[in-house]
Amino acid sequence: MTEDRAPQRHRRLVLIALAVLIVSCGRDVSSGELQGVVVDPPTEKPSFTLTDTDGEPYRFDTETDGQLSLLYFGYLNCPDVCPVHLAQIAEVFDSMPDVARETEVVFVSVDPQRDSPEEIREFLDRFDTRFVGLTGTPEELKAAQEAAGVPPATITGEGEDYTVDHAGWVLAYSPDGLNHAIYPFGTRQTQWNNDLPILAALGIDG
Amino acid sequence: MRRLLLAGLIASSLLVACSGDDGAPEISDVRIGQPTGPNAALYLTATSNGAPDRLLGATTSVAASVELHETTMGSDGTMSMARIDRLDLPADGSLVLEPGGYHLMLVDADRLEVGETVEVTLIWETAGEMAVEAEVVDPGETLGDDH
Repeated sequence: MTEDRAPQRHRRLVLIALAVLIVSCGRDVSSGELQGVVVDPPTEKPSFTLTDTDGEPYRFDTETDGQLSLLYFGYLNCPDVCPVHLAQIAEVFDSMPDVARETEVVFVSVDPQRDSPEEIREFLDRFDTRFVGLTGTPEELKAAQEAAGVPPATITGEGEDYTVDHAGWVLAYSPDGLNHAIYPFGTRQTQWNNDLPILAALGIDG
Repeated sequence: MRRLLLAGLIASSLLVACSGDDGAPEISDVRIGQPTGPNAALYLTATSNGAPDRLLGATTSVAASVELHETTMGSDGTMSMARIDRLDLPADGSLVLEPGGYHLMLVDADRLEVGETVEVTLIWETAGEMAVEAEVVDPGETLGDDH
């Protein structure tokens, strides 16, 4: 198992390095090509089960089967990084209703100690009421992050003022069940606008 | 006479643009990402007017407190946020607070609407207290220009 995971980790590091390069270039090409960080070869959609904001079990791979799903791990007290991705995706939802209908946005709170299901719902509703919010036990959350291939979030600091170190990128799984691209922090609105329609069509016949 | 008046106008507008006689930093692009959770982030650009200074913090009536923070990205892509005490503004340069880097975190921020302006007092080591107006923007637009 460990032998299998090592190259995967390295690839992830290379991807991040590339991501930084691409974002800093900030290119604005409106072509049929993905502007996110392309995952080549694409990886399989992970299977994990967490609890949604209605308290119901939510199995990621089956709930999002056959549609574009955007997976992001974050926390509510994070004012700097987390809201940017979600606001940008919400903007695409507003401007492209067809894409919104075919897309499931799944936000996983990695701060179960502070973020209650009600607060997660309230937080997501400020972006788009269609966004799905998930939570779970620390063990379930760790398993979900490992399944998705992101470094599990860790807590820094003590008392109530702790912060949560977490993966800064959004994973995009197309209807074909594969992760074709990731979106690091710093992704521009134009890149989201370009990529989501392309990703939503991957794996759809005709 | 008209020409003189015009020249005067141009000169005064130039002066306003500089407004650097007291050495205090010039502040621009002051914006707050609309709070979506308990906290919000304030960003700005400070440009030195020849003298170095240090940003120590800020106060505002729309938050319980304000903290200086730095977000960093680890080699594995993990984003971390940590509190810092001060930020240096070099004598001949600028200090940029932007998403994914430095920000002033508004702790327990009030509900704010996009388009609203909020008064914030910046605290500098040398320049002292400086009142600025921050515009509340959509979080997706905090990245600046070509977001």
